[in-house]
Amino acid sequence: MKLLANILGLALAVAATFVACGAAASLALGSQSLSAGSAAVTACGGLNSLTATRNVSNAGNVTQVNVGGIPTACSGETLSVTLVGAANASLGSGTATLGSCGATCSATFSSFGTVSAANVTGYSFGLAGS
Amino acid sequence: MRRLAIVVAVTLGLGCSAAFAATLSVGTWHLWAGSQTLRKAQCTVTGATDTYADESHPTTNNSASTTLAEQPDANKRQWIYLQFDLTACNIPTSGGADSATLSLFESSAPKNASRTITLAPVQSTWPANLPFATALALTYGTSTASFATGTTNSVAIPITVTADVDSFIKSPSTAFGWRISDGSAPVTGDQAIFNSSEAAANKPQLVINYEK
Repeated sequence: MKLLANILGLALAVAATFVACGAAASLALGSQSLSAGSAAVTACGGLNSLTATRNVSNAGNVTQVNVGGIPTACSGETLSVTLVGAANASLGSGTATLGSCGATCSATFSSFGTVSAANVTGYSFGLAGS
Repeated sequence: MRRLAIVVAVTLGLGCSAAFAATLSVGTWHLWAGSQTLRKAQCTVTGATDTYADESHPTTNNSASTTLAEQPDANKRQWIYLQFDLTACNIPTSGGADSATLSLFESSAPKNASRTITLAPVQSTWPANLPFATALALTYGTSTASFATGTTNSVAIPITVTADVDSFIKSPSTAFGWRISDGSAPVTGDQAIFNSSEAAANKPQLVINYEK
């Protein structure tokens, strides 16, 4: 009986230890609970100068969006751009992986479908990478 | 005792796996989100630098004429040149045209059938007197705009020129305006005449809806 009690006690102690490990493991990579640990999420550089311009067809539809002012440190990261319309509606979007950058870095997006430039009130950007 | 050892070993093994999963590095991610807001406005430019080159009078200076003539006839070709000054609009080169409409007042239309007239961006400066030989030597960009003359006199014709004006905004140093010409085969009565910027009224006008 005493042996059984010892075994049970030991098992409980071991289980308690690994419940903690399990909890740590459950800080899932997608849970954004990273800030609770040691992970720091930062931008790849000063991005205040990031701006977009666009080209239009003669009918006034957006044919291409050019994003410039991207820091060279962002080379290889993923940039997404969204054409924003009234009430912050998304009119179209594109994603590109930034290639090797020289002195400056830029990206070009196309294939937005039929989006009238007159309806585009702004752009929103997202930049992610490691 | 042996069972106890097995239980402990298995439990340790599973626990180590969990601990390994927990050490997957997440400390090097870069994330950033931002936005850019556009402002919309309109600019109207009335009057332009304009003239027409006339093959049958190859050295005549037509820059002060109140009319602009064009026709495709052999040895009598007439080409109109029109350049607007967009500096008053104060549109930055980072801006762009959402839409742009050129309005020409057609005082005399082709007599028998409507003609298709094309606008070709001129790629260099041109002199006000514009001899026909000089016009022939100019280079032109790809045409993106055209219009039908119709056969009715004294009508204003709106012409969509958004793509060209967008380029003029982004690259002002290359905004030399357009050559307006009829590239189709000549027929009787195919000449069209428009008011120039020297006319008393109904001058060429460019309306730009733009963003910046």
